[in-house]
Amino acid sequence: MADFEASLLEIIKEHAVGLTGELTRDTQIADLGIDSFSVVEIIYEVEEKLGVEVPFNANENPFGEMNSVGDLIDALDKLIKK
Amino acid sequence: MTRNVVVTGMGVVAPNGASVPEFWDGLIAGRSAIIKREYTADRFSLTVPVAPVDGLEERIKGLGVQMMRADRFSQMAVMAAEEAIGQSGLEFDEALGARTACIIGTGIGGQTTFDDSYVAMLCRERRPHPLTILKVIPNAPASQLSIRHGIRGPAFAVSSACATGAHAIGVCADLIRAGSADVGLAGASEAILAYGALESWRAMHILADETCRPFSKNRNGLVIGEGAGVLVLEEEERAKARGADILCRIAGFGMNADGKDMINPAVEGAAGAMSLALDKAAVKDASKVYINAHGTGTLLNDPTETKAIRSVFGADADALSVSSTKSMHGHLLGAAGGVENIAAILALRNGIVPPTVNYDEPDPDCDLNYTPNNAEERDIDVALSNSFAFGGLNAVVAFEKV
Repeated sequence: MADFEASLLEIIKEHAVGLTGELTRDTQIADLGIDSFSVVEIIYEVEEKLGVEVPFNANENPFGEMNSVGDLIDALDKLIKK
Repeated sequence: MTRNVVVTGMGVVAPNGASVPEFWDGLIAGRSAIIKREYTADRFSLTVPVAPVDGLEERIKGLGVQMMRADRFSQMAVMAAEEAIGQSGLEFDEALGARTACIIGTGIGGQTTFDDSYVAMLCRERRPHPLTILKVIPNAPASQLSIRHGIRGPAFAVSSACATGAHAIGVCADLIRAGSADVGLAGASEAILAYGALESWRAMHILADETCRPFSKNRNGLVIGEGAGVLVLEEEERAKARGADILCRIAGFGMNADGKDMINPAVEGAAGAMSLALDKAAVKDASKVYINAHGTGTLLNDPTETKAIRSVFGADADALSVSSTKSMHGHLLGAAGGVENIAAILALRNGIVPPTVNYDEPDPDCDLNYTPNNAEERDIDVALSNSFAFGGLNAVVAFEKV
């Protein structure tokens, strides 16, 4: 999980155009400056770089209820383990 | 009450000038942007004359992250639209956004994204980028502009190959006339300079070997260019009420189809579209009419267009000023109408006819005044922009002074 989390943080960071400080689990998603395009790109890169499949449907907005980057990481972790 | 439509803003990204002032300087100086360039994809390559727009990198970054991830045809459309909106002085608040149309066409769409995607899939066994579809869809520029400015009136792309831009402008003007909108962004964009697309054009045996020579006896084909042209259209009384700088009025729009052939153009179709566009324009003196010709430089188009012009103007045809600015900016395909409508408006406003460059040798089948090689001063009342597409689809826009 630690390696996975570090890799995820790295990928998210590349897309976080609105981020001013450090990126941690506590960073609010709203502060990342990412949009619907970025979410699709992040999922793609997670799949490419980590060699996993994320069963994600872009129409379902499964990340709608999340607030922090930690929530996002946990959701991705759960999706991958499905 | 009749609603008239005026132009209150223009924006252009063309090979011979990536803004309206640079474009106009290029046109009247007779500056051609046609060069030979090599395009590659994996182990394949070809070298053909093209008219590219170079040096846009910084401007693309300036459009923001959303546009940096868009296809080039969307990027150029947005650049042209921003220039046009800036000139118009319009700011899209809630009310104006709801009454604004956005009709931006393209002949092909996100061709370079498609090309890159196929190379990645077939040559490198990589799957396509997840945003591929959002980048290639022909309505991407219309959608991007709608999102950027909160434009929520009628918005879509039109596609009619080389007549796309003229159709977009004409249809948008019709929407305003009909009361479906009060303001419109209208134009077209094209960016297909990529190996796969160019190889397909070459397979058609229609590309020039050196350069584009419209109406000249030694012409031997077209040169593919890239770029975008966008107008801000506005209902005349509205524009006057807000004290806008009105650039010209759309005097008429004619569109029809040949109904004959996918490649060969028909004199009757082209002439019919011109007549429809001129129906309401008050042409008193043919010597004060400028026609920005379709003038592709292909063997078939140029004499057909010449005959069509003669059939519309009869004995007065010899008094007309005609030119093909494709000799300088190449054939922008879907965006041709967008860019050439702006060339026609600039000629009307400045009283200068841009030349047909690379005109070497008269052709008995092309016997009008094509303004060979040098710009000419001419008092112009009406400017026409001709666009005739593969598949026999014709669109002609007429502009007059206000």
